[in-house]
Amino acid sequence: MIRKNPYIYYGRKLLAFVLSVFILSVAVFYIARLAPGDPLVSYYGDRVERMSIEERQWAEEKLGLNDPIYVQYIRWIQNAVKGDFGISFKYKMDVLEVIESRLGNTLILGGIGFILIFAGALGLGILCAWKEDGWLDKSICKVGTITSCIPEFWLSLMLILVFAVNLHLLPSSGAYSVGHKNDIADRAVHLILPMTVAVIDHLWYYAFMIRNKLLEEVRADYVLLAKSKGLDKKRIMYRHCLRNIMPSYLSLMAISVPHILGGTYIIETVFSYPGIGTLSYESARYQDYNLMMVLCILTGAVVILFNMIAQIINERIDPRMREQEIVETTEVTEIG
Amino acid sequence: MSEILLDVQGLTHHFRLSKSAVIKAVDDVSFQIHEGEIFGLVGESGSGKSTVARCVMNVHKPSAGSIYYQGINTCDPAQFRKNRKLLQTSRQFIFQDSTSSLNQRMRVADIIAEPMQINHVKTPRGSDREEAAFQLHYVGLDRSYLDKYPSELSGGMRQRVTIARALSMEPRLLVADEPIASLDVSIQAQIINLFAHCNREHGCSILFIAHDLAVVKYLCHRVGVMYQGKLVEVAPTRELFENPLHPYTKSLLDAIPIPDPRLERARVWHEFDPEQFDRNGTMVEVKPGHLVLKGEKA
Amino acid sequence: MDNQFVQVGIRPIPAPQAKKQKWYQGKPLVSMAVLGVIVISCLLCDLFIPKDPTYMDLYHANLAPCAEFWFGTDTMGRDIFSMIFYGGRISLFIGFFATVISTAIAVVFGAVSGLMPKWLDDVLMRLSEIILSIPNLLLIIFVQAILGKANVLSISLVIGITGWATIAKVVRTEVRQIRSAEYVVASRCMGAGFFHILWKHLTPNFVSSIMFMVVMNIRGAIGAESTLSFMGIGLPLEIISWGSMLSLSEKALLSGSWWLILIPGVFLVVTLLCVTNIGNYLRKCGNRKVSNL
Repeated sequence: MIRKNPYIYYGRKLLAFVLSVFILSVAVFYIARLAPGDPLVSYYGDRVERMSIEERQWAEEKLGLNDPIYVQYIRWIQNAVKGDFGISFKYKMDVLEVIESRLGNTLILGGIGFILIFAGALGLGILCAWKEDGWLDKSICKVGTITSCIPEFWLSLMLILVFAVNLHLLPSSGAYSVGHKNDIADRAVHLILPMTVAVIDHLWYYAFMIRNKLLEEVRADYVLLAKSKGLDKKRIMYRHCLRNIMPSYLSLMAISVPHILGGTYIIETVFSYPGIGTLSYESARYQDYNLMMVLCILTGAVVILFNMIAQIINERIDPRMREQEIVETTEVTEIG
Repeated sequence: MSEILLDVQGLTHHFRLSKSAVIKAVDDVSFQIHEGEIFGLVGESGSGKSTVARCVMNVHKPSAGSIYYQGINTCDPAQFRKNRKLLQTSRQFIFQDSTSSLNQRMRVADIIAEPMQINHVKTPRGSDREEAAFQLHYVGLDRSYLDKYPSELSGGMRQRVTIARALSMEPRLLVADEPIASLDVSIQAQIINLFAHCNREHGCSILFIAHDLAVVKYLCHRVGVMYQGKLVEVAPTRELFENPLHPYTKSLLDAIPIPDPRLERARVWHEFDPEQFDRNGTMVEVKPGHLVLKGEKA
Repeated sequence: MDNQFVQVGIRPIPAPQAKKQKWYQGKPLVSMAVLGVIVISCLLCDLFIPKDPTYMDLYHANLAPCAEFWFGTDTMGRDIFSMIFYGGRISLFIGFFATVISTAIAVVFGAVSGLMPKWLDDVLMRLSEIILSIPNLLLIIFVQAILGKANVLSISLVIGITGWATIAKVVRTEVRQIRSAEYVVASRCMGAGFFHILWKHLTPNFVSSIMFMVVMNIRGAIGAESTLSFMGIGLPLEIISWGSMLSLSEKALLSGSWWLILIPGVFLVVTLLCVTNIGNYLRKCGNRKVSNL
């Protein structure tokens, strides 16, 4: 019953991925078109109000806004397959170009943040599990609970207030100062505040998760056995417990990608950091359909992809997952 | 011989595991239970005993065959619906695992009163709580247990509670699916005595499922032996133990230890070879009341 | 039938008494008290707030905290002390109402998914996974941006209909597990109907496991509202809530009016913290094993 052929296995996953992205694109397309708001405004700006009816119709025709929604969708997807996602109404540029110019910034912020979060979370998690219920563990947990309650945007505001407005130490917005586009030091200085927020906001949660996983592991019977064999605490922790939680650590990393991504979107907006987040926020506000579509699908695809990776990791490393699924199925056919 | 209470005819149940794999859990099983009789069903694990019990209780819908309870075909949805209340009150089920057959979040009083609430039965002893206390008393627990949760009880006590729950409806047929398998030996004895007591006092029939022949020998009036979904032998208890005919029964009886080391060492072992088992046999009545599965080869 | 069954070899065991614990032990008392004070003073704010929170006193705009305006005034001259409690009502209401909506959706969705045949369950779960996998706030921002101008009800609705997936998954798993449990089979044998099983067996079992998540959902909804309003796609400035008060913070940053950012934020964070502590307490109510290490 367990799928043995890896091609079929990955083929299925790929199919599910493509299907999910397709459904997502249809949904986003329909919702976006059904919503109130005038996309012409984002393209022509205030001129729309001064347009005559004929001009309006001409403009709508030119942008293809008059056709039924499904025709628009088919046209969109035909072009999309060819790699043409249309032009951004707001930026009057090819959508992909707009995204390309911003993608790097988000990757830097998100990527470095991701590494910091997971390195830190693993360290903190081990530390807490090691000193379970000690003062260190307790205080780390307390601080974690408190920081997890602070909304990202407010933390950003406070940091800006303290470090940028009052102390004038760090810049409050943007990814680089004017004219310093390639200056790495300048970029790094701009990154400090957004990065701090990103790390602080997620670090605790994942440290908690790792701590709890480790504590579960520590309560397993094999630890007693290892202890009775005379292994010391350190060895048990690193050789056995830590190794056993690695699969969950990896899948946790994969699952976290969308959430860290979502967090950076808000941070980017607060800090006016020119990345994908600010872009999607703008596109949603100004009804920039083409841009919003691509951003939604891009985000959605990343999310679905990483969820699938997490699932694959779980199933590869822990075959029980699949067997459980099978047991469940048989029970269902039996009772249902 | 008294009236036939339960008549199982040609009962067959298949589990479909996937498109290709089908397990024949029960394959063409027929037997009868008389009024006031304890019928034992024995066999190794996986031989389909529990499935028979579940089919009898309408938990599974059998793939083929019919089950008559007091002349009502319970496998027929129309007849089942018509006699729903009678069927659901006068037949009661006791599970093997008392831990999972009691809702952990209900108090004992509520558990015992549950069937009465479901069927809107007027309680002869005033309130539901009094009735629950009475039933508890009957199975040997005092009323201080009324407000306990199942997790606070021991395995034997929990099994008593499930029996009390079943008895609260004053059933005519009690289907007990390995009620003692998960208990300690000393507790087993108490529970078995409880069953025997119910049978004597109440006159309720019991379909008693076990894998332990010694228990069956002590408790049951008649015994059926199951193997790989087939009923291989049915006989009155004494007849079966004195004169087993089917090779599987013989090997099963050999599994009972004789409490005398000299006899134990001297006995002749009947080895049963699963290869020799012939599924396509028919039941033949060798003596009155003693049926055995005769293979086509033999 | 009335004679007692005599047992062999067993004495009636007196039930051991549980160790008495003071009612307040292990409970998040401080959080409950603080949250209670905040909630009650928000509900009864009409009785004690000194100023009309909506009145724009342009003469006294952007004042730092002083004797007359305890928490200062905002850039439009409204009294922040009054606004905090007046706006808190709306923030708390949104948190509560959005949670009611999402819990209702989640329980129905999860129970249906748990009780339906395998393929339908698969479809429904795939659906909830897709919703779950999109970062919550992002989803809300998109939906809210598409819906256009927000009011209190629409924003609760948006937060509510985007936040049910986790709870639905838990409900579904519990239902799946319980529905094949033997006590449910036993109950069915006794002739229990669907609603009896749902009410007596399923609900008590998943209520305790979703309680924590429901409480956390309140926290999430309050946080989401403030983030949305701050970003300018939630409540407009005229509708006072902690979030819409914070939406002035960009102006505040320029003028250095720290009280505009700090005070509503502190109230927000303290409320969220209290809710979290209560939620954690609910989660910890489960049993705890001792470390083997």
